[in-house]
Amino acid sequence: MSRGKKLFLTSFLTLIALIAVGQFHHNADPTGNKTGGTADFLAASGRAKVQLSQSGVNALANEVGHLHVSINFTWLLITGFLVLFMQVGFAFLVTGLTRAKNAGHMMMMNLSSFVIALLAYYAIGFAFQFGGINLVGGTGNIGGTGPLNSLFGHGNAGVIGLHGFFLQSGNSYDVGVLAFFLFQVVFMETAGYIIIGAIAERITFAAFICAEIAMGAIIYPIYGNWVWGGGWLSQLGHSLDLGHGAVDFAGSGVVHATGGWAALALAMLLGPRIGKYRKDGTVRAFPGHNLGYVVIGTLVLTFGWMGFNPGSTFGATDLRIAIVAVNTLLAASAGAVMAMAWTNWKWGKPDISMTCNGMLAGLVAITAPCAFVAPWASLVIGMIAGVLVCWSVSFFDNKAKIDDPCGAISVHGMCGAWGLLAVGLFADGTYPAKVVGWNGVPGGVTGLFYGGDGAGQLLAQAIDLVVGFIWAWGATYLIFLVVRRFVKMRVDPEVEIEGLDEGEFGQICYPDFVIRAETDTGITHELDAVGAPGTDPS
Amino acid sequence: MKLVVAVIKPFKIQEVTDALREIGIIGITIVEVRGHGRQGGHSEVYRGAEYKVEYVPKLRIELLVNDADVDRVVASITESARTGKIGDGKWWIIPIENVGRIRTGETGPDAV
Repeated sequence: MSRGKKLFLTSFLTLIALIAVGQFHHNADPTGNKTGGTADFLAASGRAKVQLSQSGVNALANEVGHLHVSINFTWLLITGFLVLFMQVGFAFLVTGLTRAKNAGHMMMMNLSSFVIALLAYYAIGFAFQFGGINLVGGTGNIGGTGPLNSLFGHGNAGVIGLHGFFLQSGNSYDVGVLAFFLFQVVFMETAGYIIIGAIAERITFAAFICAEIAMGAIIYPIYGNWVWGGGWLSQLGHSLDLGHGAVDFAGSGVVHATGGWAALALAMLLGPRIGKYRKDGTVRAFPGHNLGYVVIGTLVLTFGWMGFNPGSTFGATDLRIAIVAVNTLLAASAGAVMAMAWTNWKWGKPDISMTCNGMLAGLVAITAPCAFVAPWASLVIGMIAGVLVCWSVSFFDNKAKIDDPCGAISVHGMCGAWGLLAVGLFADGTYPAKVVGWNGVPGGVTGLFYGGDGAGQLLAQAIDLVVGFIWAWGATYLIFLVVRRFVKMRVDPEVEIEGLDEGEFGQICYPDFVIRAETDTGITHELDAVGAPGTDPS
Repeated sequence: MKLVVAVIKPFKIQEVTDALREIGIIGITIVEVRGHGRQGGHSEVYRGAEYKVEYVPKLRIELLVNDADVDRVVASITESARTGKIGDGKWWIIPIENVGRIRTGETGPDAV
């Protein structure tokens, strides 16, 4: 027998022998019935026996409480990770909707928005938004967040939180605070990357960094405090007797409308892309370079939204999560189908990119009402969003002449606002439980169609909408009126025409391909005749 | 020696090379190009904005051919590349001064 064969035979027989010897142990539990039980409780609680004494019962209660909070921590963190994954979806979405020569620029903005806004929020924003959350007790599911208890303008007029800067002040080095922080930071990130869709293909990287810092430190968290941090909008139920105050379950207003209106302000300040509008005012199409990315991005975002909405219960012990998840999917599907139908009717063929925008519009619109409405209402909300987004894209492109490459203003601004109103119409009073209430007002959230204080709720939502718009659009606009004195906002025309990949980063996203697809850009006409790019008034 | 150039619809390339192989012509060069003839492309709508698809993708094929074979080659290309619909393309002939095979150093008609 050869050496190889001998070696093989020896190894094989040894393996058989080891397996045979191993058969003599019988501690395995294939059904799972024997794993996890009294012994684990005793180990966790450090007790020797299960006893029917006060202290024995206390130990059991303690462990139950710990488990209750643990399952909610797990839920909060895992859904937070899903929301983090939405960053991937958005990167694909907006890169696919823009031109190949700018793909590196788009991807870099998506990557850097995450890291820069996160640091700004960690340093300042989180404290502004939630520094006083413990005063209104909004985090019971995870055992409360005691250190976050300082709110300027406390009571019905809270405006800004003051604990938790750098997650150090006020003893914020706390498991509850940090779990809460993770969940909240990924929500802020969503608002941070929404603006990319409207400022794409012409903003300088320097100005972009300023935008992300502003979003993470100021624009998002302050309005976020007013609605979620115990601030004055959330207290309208007490101060003005309007339903449960401003109700925004997962952030149609706080996240999406804020991002959308900030995007609007920036798009207005930047002006349209070179060649977008012809001298006679008609719109030039700049087809996205990869509709496959757009679809992938949309589906990834939908998946991530399974963390965004259901996660906002802050707990898996709140079984409403099942209804939240289903409502979310219904609205998404309704939005997509309506957009498909609308574009087919209006333009003769179902538009792939608008179908994707329609799906996202449904998702954005259901984000505020998802916990408070019945499934049939989610369908209606999504359908309206699907039509609204199509109308809005047309409006901003053709009537308002504000160039929004990815439809961010329409998907997130308009449909986020619709989501806020939808709460005031469709909330049916089945959530939360009567005793628990919302924003400190007992009883389930109820909208106009269900009586109770539905009219008051609708008014609170309307106030929330208007204030949110004024703040997000106004603060962004004002901040950038100042910023642009110091930082160049728009790239030079030559860079914009050649592509921002090379001009801003010295790296091309697709170096192996010759990218000369654009033919009708109007660039020569516009630059020769008018001079300054993108400011052609007609 | 002549250079036979043709612009054809991209999906026709396999049929054309097969037909050429059948008449004994093996060497070919292919370039991806865009263009249009008399019809000038067509219109599409992207997110509500109309745009013209003016430059349609095509393949430009080039073959070095001896004078005696030119007619056969042209006939072969024309028949295999034709669909009868708009955009079938065109062929043309360019006279060639000299040809050389780089590996062996042959020149003239032997190198074709």
